[in-house]
Amino acid sequence: MADLGPDDIRRLAAALSLTLSSEDAVEIAHRLNAFLDALAALDPLALERVEPWPTSPEGYA
Amino acid sequence: MNTTDELVFAGAARQAALMREKRVSPVELVTAYLDRIDRLDGRLRAFITICSDSALEEASRAEAEAVKGEWRGPLHGIPFAVKDQLDTAGVLTTSGSALLRANVPPDDSTVVARLKAAGGILLGKLNLTEFALGGTIRFPYGQPRNPWNPDHDPGGSSSGSGIAAAAALCSITLGEDTGGSVRSPASYCGAVGLRPTWGRVSRHGCFPAAWSMDQVGPLTRTVEDTALVLGLIAGYDAKDPTTSRSAVADYRAALAAGAKGLRIGVITELVDGAETHAEVRGAVREAARGLALLGATVEDMSLSFVHHSGGVFMALCDSEAAGRHRRWLGTRPEEYDTGTRRRLVAAGLIPAMSVHRAARARAVIREQVLDALGKYDLLLAPTSPHPAPPIASHTAPITSKEEAAKRFFGRRSYTTPASLAGVPAISVPCGFTASGLPIGLQLIGRPLAESTVLRAARAWENAAGLSTRRPTLSAKAAVA
Repeated sequence: MADLGPDDIRRLAAALSLTLSSEDAVEIAHRLNAFLDALAALDPLALERVEPWPTSPEGYA
Repeated sequence: MNTTDELVFAGAARQAALMREKRVSPVELVTAYLDRIDRLDGRLRAFITICSDSALEEASRAEAEAVKGEWRGPLHGIPFAVKDQLDTAGVLTTSGSALLRANVPPDDSTVVARLKAAGGILLGKLNLTEFALGGTIRFPYGQPRNPWNPDHDPGGSSSGSGIAAAAALCSITLGEDTGGSVRSPASYCGAVGLRPTWGRVSRHGCFPAAWSMDQVGPLTRTVEDTALVLGLIAGYDAKDPTTSRSAVADYRAALAAGAKGLRIGVITELVDGAETHAEVRGAVREAARGLALLGATVEDMSLSFVHHSGGVFMALCDSEAAGRHRRWLGTRPEEYDTGTRRRLVAAGLIPAMSVHRAARARAVIREQVLDALGKYDLLLAPTSPHPAPPIASHTAPITSKEEAAKRFFGRRSYTTPASLAGVPAISVPCGFTASGLPIGLQLIGRPLAESTVLRAARAWENAAGLSTRRPTLSAKAAVA
């Protein structure tokens, strides 16, 4: 997937009713693109059958 | 005790014994720390609020009780300080943010109430990265500085807790660890920091960073003090339904067992990884050899998913935090630090399906960690891939996604496996770099097996003899 740019970020933020400065939009684009790359690296892994159960200390005890 | 320095650097357990022997009084101890804070904290900026008057009043009361032979508990007359993320009745509690600059809670958090019930005296509230999230660029209550070199980062988010422990600005401290926020400052500052099992300690009255992984823990100068504090704060709390009803062990008694007979797995991806600084690798390998000499069986092992931990953790932690801060991001965005605001908005824009995928990956990482802990009593790794970096290295704007990934995900892969798995982990000093910065050894244990983590850490601490080394501190002018 192509990286998101500052204009994309401003449009996405507007959907959350957030207004961003130009400087914020530029850096948030870098941060979000880093997130998307890190999470895309999970795609080849067989995660569909894994249940995302919450941590439970009682389950351990 | 020959000097005031010896008194303030003595562990809380030792100070408590001296109180019982009437060789030191609560007023003497509180005064010694207040003098030290006055002299040193203008530069170190460990504290946001100093409770001088109330601490001295409490100390006088504790002294009068001691004269009559009335002892409230194991911390009678011992001064403690807590991360400013923890509620304290009638005392400003900012969570390190300008948004909460006037927040004075009516009640104590459960952990603070328990330390007070044990006789502890609240000395003050400790600095932190904004909302315990990390990445703060301008700290609203002053830039916290590393006691071993004030140009370097003290670690976060429990920055003030690490500084105050290492620089002996109080007897004991509490921090909060979501993805390494107790262990990182312990490592960078040369202190001992424990993240307990998720649910072992109440979070009631703790401003959440990420609900599913937050855990309050001790940050102290010695393993014995960490065991002492954990024994006082651990246990079920009706005000926090996530707390475990399992019995609380006698952690101090467990320390004597040593490392003999323990099976320890060395996580090779973290010890030998390309990101791991050579001096860190050398010190951690030396500690592994030391534990083997103490009678543990130590061998290399692999956690293949560990390099995903940083990204998975950040996606889960930050999206939880973004949800919590949603309203303020819309109504008071300019009151956040720039770094915090950008971090939260970026996380708020991660697609829901990606966050859910991260939640599934968390389950896999947890399974790998728990499987490994079925074979080994403890897993061993560096706490951080590098010693404390210069403060200036992480305040510049981020100019690429690669830089963002390196700055935020890489180092977190060292501490977040324990956070994602919900298991206990400790950082204990294991050496110093040639330039004099501390290096932290991380030991990760089975769920609710804090006793095992602590006994191994104590055995190493005794063998290494590093806890007697102190930072050279100078009372330079206050800096912002």
